[in-house]
Amino acid sequence: MKKHTFILRNFLLNLLSFLSLGLLVLLWIVGSSGEASILPSPYEVWTKFLALSEDPIAGMSMLGHSLQSLRRVFVGLLAATVVGIPLGTMIGWSERFRAIFQPVFEIIRPIPPLAWVPLISIWCGVFEFSKYILVFIGTFSAIVVNTYAGVNLANRDNIAVGRMFGARGVRLITDIVFPSALPSIMAGLKTALTTGWGVVLAAEMISANYGLGMLVTRGSDSNDIQLVLVAMLLIGLIGALMSTAFTILERRLSPWRTDLN
Amino acid sequence: MADRFKLSVKNLSKAFVTKKDDTLVIDDISMDVRENEFLVILGPGQCGKTVLLNMVAGLLKPTLGEIYMDGEKVSGLDKRVRMVFQKLALLPWLTVSKNVQIGMKYAKVPKEQRERVAQHYIDLVGLQGFERSYPHQLSGGMKQRVGIARAYASAPEVLLMDEPFGQLDAQTRYSMEDEILKIWDKDKRTILFVTNNIEEAVYLADRIVLLSKRPAKVKDVFDLTGLPRPRDNLSEEFLRIRQEIADQMDLDLGQ
Repeated sequence: MKKHTFILRNFLLNLLSFLSLGLLVLLWIVGSSGEASILPSPYEVWTKFLALSEDPIAGMSMLGHSLQSLRRVFVGLLAATVVGIPLGTMIGWSERFRAIFQPVFEIIRPIPPLAWVPLISIWCGVFEFSKYILVFIGTFSAIVVNTYAGVNLANRDNIAVGRMFGARGVRLITDIVFPSALPSIMAGLKTALTTGWGVVLAAEMISANYGLGMLVTRGSDSNDIQLVLVAMLLIGLIGALMSTAFTILERRLSPWRTDLN
Repeated sequence: MADRFKLSVKNLSKAFVTKKDDTLVIDDISMDVRENEFLVILGPGQCGKTVLLNMVAGLLKPTLGEIYMDGEKVSGLDKRVRMVFQKLALLPWLTVSKNVQIGMKYAKVPKEQRERVAQHYIDLVGLQGFERSYPHQLSGGMKQRVGIARAYASAPEVLLMDEPFGQLDAQTRYSMEDEILKIWDKDKRTILFVTNNIEEAVYLADRIVLLSKRPAKVKDVFDLTGLPRPRDNLSEEFLRIRQEIADQMDLDLGQ
């Protein structure tokens, strides 16, 4: 009985999600119908998408452009993670470290990543490396801040247990503090992933030879609204997929967490 | 004659210093604990029992005074002393078995031996079949059994228990009290058990050290070795001792 209610409720919730997506498409169809409409219909966009695989832009398929954008995000994000988690841990763990780094960090943090574009183009040119740097800047603070908060608020009881049972120094941090802070760290990575995706596309829109963001600009410059919409939809779809994949990964990595189900 | 005792606390005091003022929490406490004795420290809520225990554990530094083990002065954490925590404090990301093994892991005990010893204590506390469970899958009583197995498994000579059953419901609490006596009977260690519950103290203790309200001093010591176990908490003798202690115990009226 109880199980049936559960399944039924889940079914209804899924149905609602489908309905809302359907409604969006419906609005799109209505909005794109009529002679004067500048919005291309879903059918036109789909046709464009198919045509693009036959006649690639910049010699690259849509999958190719998507993968290029993804690669940029992951390189930048990986660098930010590798630097950000240890730094966040140290700021969270040591008062001295906090005193040194926090003020600098608090000033740099509010500056939007794209404000760095002029400086970065001068320093690193406009190509790959500058994209990595931008993603790094855009994702770094979310990772550091969440790691710092997680470590700083790491359960005191867990730490006492670690010390009582012989964990010292680095082991205390890796074995006790770090897992205690993991939910917060993962939340930071998830935010960073979404932000990084947004930053890379914006950067590509400013200047790039390939990538989904570049397609948006290309479409805009050549008055090809269908192309703009294809790129926009892919951006949205891929972003949502990454978010979902991350949640699944997080659940796999932390089977003890009851807050993820 | 400190060397005749397993553990001796000499003139221990602890004050917490804040910006506004100093608060004296422990005021010149001395006590001796015999080898394999079940000593209960009884005091009203907030009196500083946990602070006292944390100092014996080496987790807190005393402001004044010394702690001796086997007649030798100790300071800081000591692997002969292990604690069962008040707030259960199992590490949620480790399975029951890994939680029990934690002390041995840092003592660099080989994995095979670690697993064998852990299994022994998991069986002893009656949790066989739950080795691979995570703490959130266990009930309060089961979690506290893990806490006891964890403390035992790291082979301490002195076990500190900080109101270990304080958060359990009454029924589970009674059964855990029997359980801890059974475990202690099979595998004798020196136990310092802190509680604010008179009945629990009289049920468990060889001796009871009664503390005053804050700042905590030793008010009295009761020797219960004459009262045979298992104790009947409705027997005349039990109730008499309980009343005698209750008459002396300070009330915890906040502040």
